[in-house]
Amino acid sequence: MAKHHVQTTINGDPIEFLCDTEETLLDVLRNQLNMTGTKEGCSTGDCGACSVTVDNRLVCSCLMLGVEANGKKIGTIEGLASGDKLHPLQQKFLEHAALQCGVCTPGFLVASKALLEKNSNPTETEVRYWLAGNLCRCTGYDKIVRAVMDAAHEIRSA
Amino acid sequence: MSDRSVPRYEAALKVTGRAAYEGEVPAVGLLHAALVEVPIARGDVVAVDASEAERTSGFATMVSYADAEPLKPSPATALIRDRAVHFAGQPVALVVADTLSAARDAARAVRVTTQARPSVTHMAQALNTAYVPAMVGRFPSVSNRGDATAALADADRVVRHRYETAANIHHPLEPHAVVCWWEGDKAVVHTSTQAVFGTRAMIAHAFNMPPADIRVISRLLGGGFGCKGQLWWPWMFLAMLAAKKTGRPVRLELTRAQMFRLVGRRQETVQDLALGFSTNGCLTGIAHHVTAQSSTHAEYSDATAVYTRYLYACPNVTTSHLLVRTNEPQPVPMRAPGTAPGLFALESAMDEAAVRLGFDPVDLRVRNFADHDQEAGRPWSSNSLRDCYCIGAERFGWARRPAQGTAVDGRWRIGWGMASTMYPAIRQAAKVRVQLAADGAVLVQCGTQDMGSGTYTALGQITADALGVPVDRVTVELGDTVLPDGPFSGGSQVTASIFPAAAAATAKLRATIAAMAIADEASPLAGQRLDDLEFRDGSIRSRSGNVGEPWANVLARKGTEGLEAEGESGATQHPDLTATSMGYGAVFVEIGVNAGLGEIRVRRVCGAFAAGRILNPLLARSQYVGGLVGGIGMALHERTETDRATGRMLGETLADYLIPTHADMPEFDIALIEEDDPHLPGSVKGIGMLGTAGIQAAIANAVFHAVGKRVRSLPIRIEDVLGRR
Repeated sequence: MAKHHVQTTINGDPIEFLCDTEETLLDVLRNQLNMTGTKEGCSTGDCGACSVTVDNRLVCSCLMLGVEANGKKIGTIEGLASGDKLHPLQQKFLEHAALQCGVCTPGFLVASKALLEKNSNPTETEVRYWLAGNLCRCTGYDKIVRAVMDAAHEIRSA
Repeated sequence: MSDRSVPRYEAALKVTGRAAYEGEVPAVGLLHAALVEVPIARGDVVAVDASEAERTSGFATMVSYADAEPLKPSPATALIRDRAVHFAGQPVALVVADTLSAARDAARAVRVTTQARPSVTHMAQALNTAYVPAMVGRFPSVSNRGDATAALADADRVVRHRYETAANIHHPLEPHAVVCWWEGDKAVVHTSTQAVFGTRAMIAHAFNMPPADIRVISRLLGGGFGCKGQLWWPWMFLAMLAAKKTGRPVRLELTRAQMFRLVGRRQETVQDLALGFSTNGCLTGIAHHVTAQSSTHAEYSDATAVYTRYLYACPNVTTSHLLVRTNEPQPVPMRAPGTAPGLFALESAMDEAAVRLGFDPVDLRVRNFADHDQEAGRPWSSNSLRDCYCIGAERFGWARRPAQGTAVDGRWRIGWGMASTMYPAIRQAAKVRVQLAADGAVLVQCGTQDMGSGTYTALGQITADALGVPVDRVTVELGDTVLPDGPFSGGSQVTASIFPAAAAATAKLRATIAAMAIADEASPLAGQRLDDLEFRDGSIRSRSGNVGEPWANVLARKGTEGLEAEGESGATQHPDLTATSMGYGAVFVEIGVNAGLGEIRVRRVCGAFAAGRILNPLLARSQYVGGLVGGIGMALHERTETDRATGRMLGETLADYLIPTHADMPEFDIALIEEDDPHLPGSVKGIGMLGTAGIQAAIANAVFHAVGKRVRSLPIRIEDVLGRR
């Protein structure tokens, strides 16, 4: 079957790609566009490692087809930092040791950014339940919620 | 914050998405692989027919036992050389194609004919076949100290119960992956492994080639917890065979569903435990007998009852391990192997004993503290367990523990519980190379890999400290068999193993630079005494003379390209030890049980841990918290479900296999109790396993404290508390 021509915007840059019908957005990002910052943890939408934003909505890119990205604005982990300057969330994850092996980390950061854009002053409970769809096996989560709260505070006071 | 709490070495790569894991390594002409699985739990493969698969779009080739047969026989090749099927979902072939979806389509088109035979799909079906393995890890399976049978018969009080733990799955977030290719007769293997050198040795054996012709690379590992070891090798070998057959690079990544079956599990256990006491609360006899599952193609036993030989003072202790072979996936070590299930039983029983004898659970443990290793009859190298009890209890507020069954917070019935934890401190052989550039830049290399726990950071810090330079001057290279030999990542021993090797390498460099400076008329240190010189703030200085200079200047004047030294250290020689080394901890928890729904929530945890000198408090705390949450998973969530009629696993997704999430996370208070241990290089003990054990019993004990119900089977689920099971 002929491939689909998809025109999209990724982290602000216009991107075009060709993909098969059954390819997920995650497959396209990782295998075609070499944007491997978005991770594959389960491919069933259970772990959140492949989190991206689509027109500012948080989605698991393993549950979305590449063709569905046509005309949409995609945000990935590669778009968080501005050049060498880390986003406050990235900086706080680093300072709080809110990562170990790092495979869940991009998903947590993308999901946390989506939270703070909706709610700049979340309670700890709101952070914890918002991030309950992102699984981590190493860190024990504790430091992640501290990092997100701390980053939210810094962004508000900036 | 301590100046030792430097952030993770590779953190900037990981937070920006630039960290490249081995399955992401680009390769020109890459073929994608998919495994062909069979549904029967036991039997034989009669035929594997690829004729239909060959006609699918993008198909490149298939490899099966016919291709694997030339590999040398070993436990690592048995599953792929042989036609026998040992468990449901076992792969029997691998297909490679131009894209991943083409490979999966082709794998589905492979026709496998099998001859099924009767299977054993659970331990309970074959208890009559239970046998004693020769060893459990490095320990004998059976132990007898004194006469436990007589002591239990004579004891004033006996607590005797059966405890059970479920099969758990490691589930690192990164599924196993390999990208491999051949360069003539040489193999390049990028793979997520906890043991690059062990992997190289097994490839060399299987493919009958010199280790020097094989390069195994694992620079970044997306977690492991014990499953990125030997059970991955057969499937990795299939990918290597496909790469050889096609002459192209091949990538194989396991699916999450395959992670349930192909790369190991924490074995299911049934533990019969009896504790005998005198009326004054002293242990007089212990009997701990474990029956656990292993597969029909390999043998593995956790050292589940082994720690019962050590934790408490008791003259009469007997322990044993039995295995039952079933047509289920093979177990391997998983986070706190042995201690996590074994201490669940022992520390639950100690709590039951405290209730029976009328002792506070902490007091009963302190009363039975072992002041030396009674099993080996030698002293501890250090043992701060009593400090852990004391400091943990103080910080948790244990003295204010309410009476059992009395504390309530709205709908929640509140319970407090505690338990001990321990893990042996061991080392493996290691080599570390350190290079100093003439501009003062430092490069430190060791082939061992970083599982995600912090080996890059620890090695960078050790090296920077020894040379007196800021940690950001040090570049660390790990995870590659072209680098000096290092240990596998397991048993919480990497940091302790590489520490003395790095110390030896840096000591040589310091001595060389010092000698150069003393002999150099142009140096302010010319003619100084060697033993008066120290390295700090990037300089070499005289302690008494208040003179010095950047050590890079010493090198620069010599016009050298730089210096290099290698340090080496040996593995723990267990029979020769004069003291036994373990890390210890005490875990205190508060839980709430929803009175109407039976839901259990862990509200707060205080862990006090004593494991030698802490190199980086920030990362140590992170590892303890991570371990404790892993322990909460084992206590309250994690259980594999197998259909006993077919042997197939049910619910092979992370939606069905429950693990703790952010919403399950309690409040943590971690006390790091530092120890000087003259028997251990740098006083370094491993810390990774300590947090994962102990908390299971602490939670079960807290459930009893809250609702008066003793649950002796993990995980403790809602139905256990509601009394339906």
